[in-house]
Amino acid sequence: MTSKLPDYPILTERLRLRPLRRGDVDAVFAYRQREDVAQYLFDLPLTREACAETVQQRSARIAFEQEGDSIFVAAERKDDNILVGEVSLGWRSAEARQAEIGFIFNPEFGGQGYATEAAAAMLTLAFRSLDIHRVFGRCDARNLPSARLMERLGMRREAHFRHHAMFKGQWDEEFVYAILEHEWAD
Amino acid sequence: MNNPALPIETDRLSLRPFLHGDLDAVAAYHMLPEVQHYLDWKARDLAECNAALNVLCHQVALRRPGDTLALAVVRRLDGQVIGHVSLRWHDATAGQAELRFVFNPTFRRQGYAVEAVRAAIQLGFREFGFHRVFARCDARNQASARMMKGLGMRLEAHFREHALFDGEWDEELHFAILNREWQRSTKVREIGIHRVA
Repeated sequence: MTSKLPDYPILTERLRLRPLRRGDVDAVFAYRQREDVAQYLFDLPLTREACAETVQQRSARIAFEQEGDSIFVAAERKDDNILVGEVSLGWRSAEARQAEIGFIFNPEFGGQGYATEAAAAMLTLAFRSLDIHRVFGRCDARNLPSARLMERLGMRREAHFRHHAMFKGQWDEEFVYAILEHEWAD
Repeated sequence: MNNPALPIETDRLSLRPFLHGDLDAVAAYHMLPEVQHYLDWKARDLAECNAALNVLCHQVALRRPGDTLALAVVRRLDGQVIGHVSLRWHDATAGQAELRFVFNPTFRRQGYAVEAVRAAIQLGFREFGFHRVFARCDARNQASARMMKGLGMRLEAHFREHALFDGEWDEELHFAILNREWQRSTKVREIGIHRVA
């Protein structure tokens, strides 16, 4: 399998998607330290040290080389270079060409459609450049902003699992959204 | 995990561990294309079927997560093996079990499958104390989907083209029911003869 390295930066109307870098730690820590951001993530709120390590690790994960690889990119505003969040794409199956989308955005810049704009660019990347057939995303059933974001992208709610696992010591309730390559209209 | 005494008896059926002597009865349905179509366990000839049966014969108890309990579904009237049900202990911490079932189409439309699957769910909740029992089926397998719905299981997922199965895009349904929902529904059935004024 040849490496699939996206052509960075990826430009959208208002955003620039590019690999994370060392200098992003403060901007990422601003939201990764927050309780409300961590609530529905597998991680707990990060310490600055853990955040620096995460940024460092993610800065090198920018291509699909083999199944299991993930791409992480920072979303920064084109007009003032402020980092507003990050999006990811995980290669879940090479055979069935499946990928999982993920996103974490700073609530400070919420309500302006940045997450939707960045996630849409990731769907285009997945379907048009990375030869993915289906992209799915998961979120906690209580996490309405994430669920709505995926609905806005035209993703279909394919699953609503109840108590199928434990999450942070409680019964988990999870939505799975998905979209197929021929359903995605850029 | 405490394993129940076997066999488990229902009105017309007996659920017991598999025996090597069940080969002909298992082969009679397991190799049918219409059955194979929906199984991810391929058994295209007698040798493969025998290998599958050997595995089933050893799935006699749930001792640790990952274990499967496979039970032959036998018609008590004549000892005929008409299919099988199984429970797989799926998860170490969240009390999850995956239910599977296969039935010989020859004995269809007599309610045997629903009788056996109901007993398997009952086993999962009452004997093993699982929190949730789930089952998957191909989206085209209307009979299985209808039966699970009829047993009070909820359609929790409808995945489209999420995997390749025999070189074709797969479409899969997930049904599930929680222990407390099952207990409630069986109680409702027990008092069903009383009319509400």
